[in-house]
Amino acid sequence: MNGWLTGLGVVVSLELRQRVRSVAWYVLLGISVVIVGLVTVLLAIIFGSAAEDSGGGVFSGVLYLVLLLGTLVAPAVSGTAINGDRDAGTLATTQVTQVTASQIVLGKFVAAWATALAFLIAASPFLLVAALLGGVTATQVLVSVPVIALELGVVAAIGVGLSGLLQRSLFSIVVTYLAVAALTVGTLVAFGLGSALFRSEVTVTTRDVVYGNDPDDPEAFECGAQSTYTYEAPRTDYVWWLLAANPYVVVADAVPPQYDDRDQVEDFFGFVQVAVRAAQQAPELEQVNDYCDSASAYEEPPTSRETIDGSTPSWFVGLAIHLALAAAALAGATWALRTPLRRLSPGSRIA
Amino acid sequence: MEQAAAGGIVVDDVARSFGDVHAVRGMTFRAEPGRVTALVGPNGSGKTTLMLMLASLLAPDRGRILVDGRDPVADPAGVRRAMGWMPDVLGSWASLRVRATLEITGRLHGLDHDAAARRADELIALTGLGPLADRPTRVLSRGQKQKLSLARALVHDPRVLLLDEPASGLDPAARIDLRELLRRLAGEGRTLLVSSHVLAELEEMADAAVFVDAGVTASAERVERARTAAREWRVRALGPTQALADALAAAGAPVARVDRAGAVVLVRDEEAGADLVARLVASGIRLTAFGPAVGELERTFLDLSRDPGGADASARAEAPALPADDQPEVGS
Repeated sequence: MNGWLTGLGVVVSLELRQRVRSVAWYVLLGISVVIVGLVTVLLAIIFGSAAEDSGGGVFSGVLYLVLLLGTLVAPAVSGTAINGDRDAGTLATTQVTQVTASQIVLGKFVAAWATALAFLIAASPFLLVAALLGGVTATQVLVSVPVIALELGVVAAIGVGLSGLLQRSLFSIVVTYLAVAALTVGTLVAFGLGSALFRSEVTVTTRDVVYGNDPDDPEAFECGAQSTYTYEAPRTDYVWWLLAANPYVVVADAVPPQYDDRDQVEDFFGFVQVAVRAAQQAPELEQVNDYCDSASAYEEPPTSRETIDGSTPSWFVGLAIHLALAAAALAGATWALRTPLRRLSPGSRIA
Repeated sequence: MEQAAAGGIVVDDVARSFGDVHAVRGMTFRAEPGRVTALVGPNGSGKTTLMLMLASLLAPDRGRILVDGRDPVADPAGVRRAMGWMPDVLGSWASLRVRATLEITGRLHGLDHDAAARRADELIALTGLGPLADRPTRVLSRGQKQKLSLARALVHDPRVLLLDEPASGLDPAARIDLRELLRRLAGEGRTLLVSSHVLAELEEMADAAVFVDAGVTASAERVERARTAAREWRVRALGPTQALADALAAAGAPVARVDRAGAVVLVRDEEAGADLVARLVASGIRLTAFGPAVGELERTFLDLSRDPGGADASARAEAPALPADDQPEVGS
C-alpha cells in the first residue's frame, strides 16, 4: 500500500511539473485573482448598501465565481491528461514502468484536481474579506467550501476519464466542456422545457369589493359578482429534480440557509435554494380571492424559511450523481489503459 | 524447460492482428543473453508490433513470449522490471529537464530519491548528455532525444533491452558511440534486440539476425538459401577497365555491371571469391579492391524480400499494408 502511494505520488508530481509549471498558467491564475478581487469589491458595494452583515452575499458570490472559473479551467487542464501524453509519445514509456494503470489515472486526476483547487486557494483572501464583513457563519464555510472543492474534483475526474477513453485530445476537451455544460446549463434548460411541457389549468375565483354605490357613505361597499378565469401553470413540481444535478444547486442546497429578521434569505446560496425548493411546490389549482371576506382577504406569501422548511433537500442526490459520474470516468480510463492490451478500438494507437 | 531458464527472449509462434490487418502472422525466434540480435525487415513487416508485445503493452492473439523467463501477459510487472524499451516514437516530457526526466523515470521504476538521482548522473555520463543535463528536453535535437530515450530505457538496469530504431537521427560519431555502448551492454550478459533499417550498421554490431517479412519470421532454411546464393562482389583494379573485364571473363566470372565504384561480378561463395582473386592476380591484374558489394545482412534481407519463397509467398501477397511507420494504427 505504501509503495502504491509512493508510485501515485511520483505520477502526481510528474503531472504537476509537466503541465502546471508554466508561465501561461501563472498568468491565468493571476488574471482570475484580479477578476475575483473586482467582483468582491462590487459585491461588497451592492450588499453593503442593502444589509448590515453584507459578508454572506459577498462570500457566496465569490464562491460561485470560483466554481465558474474552476469548471471553465478544469476541462482544459484535465481534458488532455492521457491522450495528450499518448500524442506526445510519453504514455507508453510510463506504462512500461512499475506504475499501474490505476496509479497513472488517479495520479493525473489528483494533479488536475489540485490545479483546479488552486483557484479556490487563490480566492481565499477574498473569502476572508467577506468573513470580516460579518454575517458569514462557520457552518456556511464548512459546508460550502468542501462541496465546491468536491465539485471541482468531479470536473477534473470527468476530464481525465474522457481523456483516457477518447483518442483525440481536442475531442475529449470538447466533450468534457459539453459534460460540464450539460450539468450547469443543460439541467436548467431541461427544467425550463419540462415545466413548459407539463402544465395544469388553474382556476381563479375572484369576488371584488364594489364601492360608491351609496352616495351618502363613501366607505360603504357591497360584494360584487364572482368572476372566474383560468390560466395554465407550469408544473415545476414534476421536473424540479432535474435541477438537483446542477452543481450550483448542489452547493446552494447543501449550505444551511441564513435568514434575516424577516425570515428571508440574504445570499446567493439562499436565493438559489429558495428558488429550487419553491419549484417543488405544486401550484394551487383552485384559487379563491374573496376580497369581500375580510378573513380570507389577504394571505402573506410564504417566507423563505417556510418554503425551505416545507420542502425536501436534494443536494446529496445531486452530489451522489456527480461522484458516480466521476468514479465511472476514472474507472473507464483505468480500463482503457490496461496492459497488455488485448483489444484495440478502431483509430487507436498504443505508443 | 531449458528455454525458460536461459533468460533472453523467446518468441514462439506469435501472432497479432488489428481487425483485418495481420501485423504479426507467425514469428518464432530466440534472442540469447550476451548477444546483440538484429531484427531486420521492411517497413510494415511487424517489427514494432512485435516490440510492443515484448514490451508488455500488447497481448499476442496466439503464441508464447518469454522475456527473461517471464510471460508479459501473465506477469507484466516482472517483465517490466527486467526489460528496458526504447520506442521508435521519440517522446519526452517537454518541460522537464534531462536530469529530472531520468530521475522521474527511475522513481516510476520504484527507485527511491537518492538512487534515482545517482542513476540519472550515471546515465548522463554514459550517454554523453552532460552538457544538456539541465536543459528542458524540448530543446533537444533528434539525435539528443535518441540518447535520452536510450538512457531512459537503461534506468532500472534491465537484463533485456528492446531497441526500436536506436540509431536513426544519430550522426556518424554518435553511431559509433552507440555501437560501442550496445556491444558493452551485451558483453555484460544482457540480451539486446535491435531493429533498424540501417543494415550496414546492424552488421557491425549484431551477433545474430532475425529476418521478418509480412509478419512472419523467415525460416532458417530460407535464410540459409538466401545467404548461400551467389552474391555480388565488387572488383577494382589499376589499368584499363577492358583489361579487367577480359581477365574476369577469362576467369569464368563475367562482369554483371559496372558502376562508379568498380565492376560487379557474381560470386558463389567465399571460396570461389578467393579463387577468383588468385586467378586475377596470376593474370597480371593489379587489384585495388575486391570484396562483397553489400553486407551480409543487407544481402540476405534483399534476397529474402526479392524471393518470397514457399508458403510465405501467399501470405505476403495478401498481407494488407500497414501505415508506413509500422505503427499498429487501425481505422482512421
